[in-house]
Amino acid sequence: MKRLLPPDLKEAAPFLLPLLGFIGAFVLIPVLGAVVNSTLRDVTFLKSEFAGLGNYAWLARNPAFWQSVKFTLLFVALSVPLQMLLGIVFALVLNEKVPLRGLLRACVLIPWVVPAAVSARIWELIYNYSFGLANFLWVATGIPEEPVNWLGTDAGAFIALVLADTWKTTPFVTVILLTGLSAIPEDIYLQAQVDGANLFKRFVKITVPLLKPAIVVALIFRTIDSLRVFDLNYVLTNGGPGGSTTSVSLHGYQYFLLGDFGYGSAVSVVLFLVALSLTLAYIKIGRIGQVIQ
Amino acid sequence: MRRIPDSLQSGMLFAVILLSVVLAVSCAKDRERPLTFAIGGTPSEFALWEKLMDRFQDETGIEVEVIRQPAGTDQRRQGLVIPLASRKSDPDVFLMDVVWIAQFAASGWLDPLEERARRDNLDLNAFFPGIIERVDLYGGRLIALPVLIDGGVLYYRKDLLESRGLSPPETWNELARIAVDIQNEERTTNPGFHGFVWQGAQYEGLVCNFLEVAGSNNGGIGFSNGKVVLDTPENRVAVLFMHDLPHRFRISPPSVYTEMKEEEARLEFQRGNALFERNWPYAWLLHESRGSAVKGKTGIAILPDFPSGRSVSTLGGWHVGISGFSDEKEKAWKLVRYLVSYKIQKEIALEFGNTPGLMDLYDDPEILSVLPHFSKLKEVFQHALPRPTVPYYAQLSDSIQRRLNAALTGGISPAEALSLAERDARRIADRYEKRSGAP
Repeated sequence: MKRLLPPDLKEAAPFLLPLLGFIGAFVLIPVLGAVVNSTLRDVTFLKSEFAGLGNYAWLARNPAFWQSVKFTLLFVALSVPLQMLLGIVFALVLNEKVPLRGLLRACVLIPWVVPAAVSARIWELIYNYSFGLANFLWVATGIPEEPVNWLGTDAGAFIALVLADTWKTTPFVTVILLTGLSAIPEDIYLQAQVDGANLFKRFVKITVPLLKPAIVVALIFRTIDSLRVFDLNYVLTNGGPGGSTTSVSLHGYQYFLLGDFGYGSAVSVVLFLVALSLTLAYIKIGRIGQVIQ
Repeated sequence: MRRIPDSLQSGMLFAVILLSVVLAVSCAKDRERPLTFAIGGTPSEFALWEKLMDRFQDETGIEVEVIRQPAGTDQRRQGLVIPLASRKSDPDVFLMDVVWIAQFAASGWLDPLEERARRDNLDLNAFFPGIIERVDLYGGRLIALPVLIDGGVLYYRKDLLESRGLSPPETWNELARIAVDIQNEERTTNPGFHGFVWQGAQYEGLVCNFLEVAGSNNGGIGFSNGKVVLDTPENRVAVLFMHDLPHRFRISPPSVYTEMKEEEARLEFQRGNALFERNWPYAWLLHESRGSAVKGKTGIAILPDFPSGRSVSTLGGWHVGISGFSDEKEKAWKLVRYLVSYKIQKEIALEFGNTPGLMDLYDDPEILSVLPHFSKLKEVFQHALPRPTVPYYAQLSDSIQRRLNAALTGGISPAEALSLAERDARRIADRYEKRSGAP
């Protein structure tokens, strides 16, 4: 068993304490505050009192909550792999000595730099029924009789959100993976080439294992970010049609806005726990992989 | 030697910043706090409010600071809920959407006004009848006063109806029939033309529209023995009709249930792309503004009904209240009285075409000469129906919105949507009502 405290605690303490204080004040206390709040009946117009797991019981019975869970999980399950895949492809291409590489690398970052609410507005203009770009192009093909109401069905609105999110966040994955790629020494590849490994073999046996830490980091960030997706659907669909694109964050926010802080906190705590366990799982899987190697 | 001045410089800069912050804070503390008044809106509306507040200060010597809120209703609500829930003394005075009042009152955020009103002989009969009783009285106490009131109206293209010898429709079926015919004719020159635009996106406006269609069929959100009633034959007819507008009659664009809120509908009509439009009175002056394609071609009418019912408008509007945490309630009351005075209400109307809470203004010749549609609005507001005044209305509305919106997409049937909405609503009422002692 490892010792819990380092032996040189006395010397380390002055250096660690400021950081611990910072984390405590700005991370730990707010999180604990939310947990405490989630056990209260904290509704502006009712007397505040202890409710135990009452908010969680209501959450389990609330169809709107389950609808938001379904949307959020589907959103993560589709958008994260898509972004990872595209991110790897972009990173590999941009890692090669292609012409204008510097310019291309800079361009790839543009969607990531655009604030999420702004990019949601841009996509709103693309999907707009009467004057959106998508319908303009669709009608220009001469196939349809009438324009399409892209956001008008559950599936349509869902796919529209996944596309918008992928456009916006693939650059993030690309950059993380590019950093990982540039850290892989060139001579390993040369050596493998001498040993007769082909391009595919080199990718599977060298690139992927050595890129794994970067992949895990990108996965963690993207998964957590997608789990708490808020601004994109808040602006683009406002959770519609029929509540089908309401994410868990948006659901919690709506209850905060309506003055039910206890329930809103319960939703946040659930989201926090899911994000935490997924993160731990990723790290664990990442570690196991390293141990096997 | 060069490094020392560098760190000295940044140190001095830091010290100067710190010092100025400390100075600013202490100065702010020394000065007497002005009365704070939270309002939201467009930049030009702020200009008017600030002008009015300057005048108020000249007349009373009370300094007022306008706290600018965003234009969006949700953001305005958020901007008030946070300071009030944390019991802050500012804003002292604020405008509330009519549907927040029950929650704010039940939360104990509003200072009762009836004693001051009695003392100062404020004539409550000068406001529209029914509105004070149904909205501004909560638990028998007067907690707000109407500053601006609103109700849904039907805008129509006067030119297109008159050239065919038609008058505005009195029933919903008539509206659909006229819209189908004229849409077909107009489409030959304007392929983007639609018969009827309204608010069907998943938000509060959808509930307003639903209550008007359902209300004109003797339906709506009912309460029977403390239970919410939604799944009724009258409501099914109403939701089916709303569903049919884009899907069967095809006189409303499909975007009506995804994108259309007030502004989207207004712009569509204003570009000359719609025959009928359901909207609030604010759209009138914009339709009549320079550059509008429908300038001089717009008529205004009460909303149609079903043969068995009568026209209904959903009551909207903004009411003023005083924070229960204000430490300047007497000054705040002076401001409230000022805001609901005839002179100021008239100025708000004349300057922006906003519809004030005092009824007599709708007969004022000076106003009618500039805003002739006010004579029609008086009739609308007299029949405007408030939304349920329960403190958990927002939660109720939120669940109704998603079910109705799902019915509009065609994803579920009107009957299914209403029965699901009713089940959701009863659960919500259960959660918030049992222990709140609300009616």
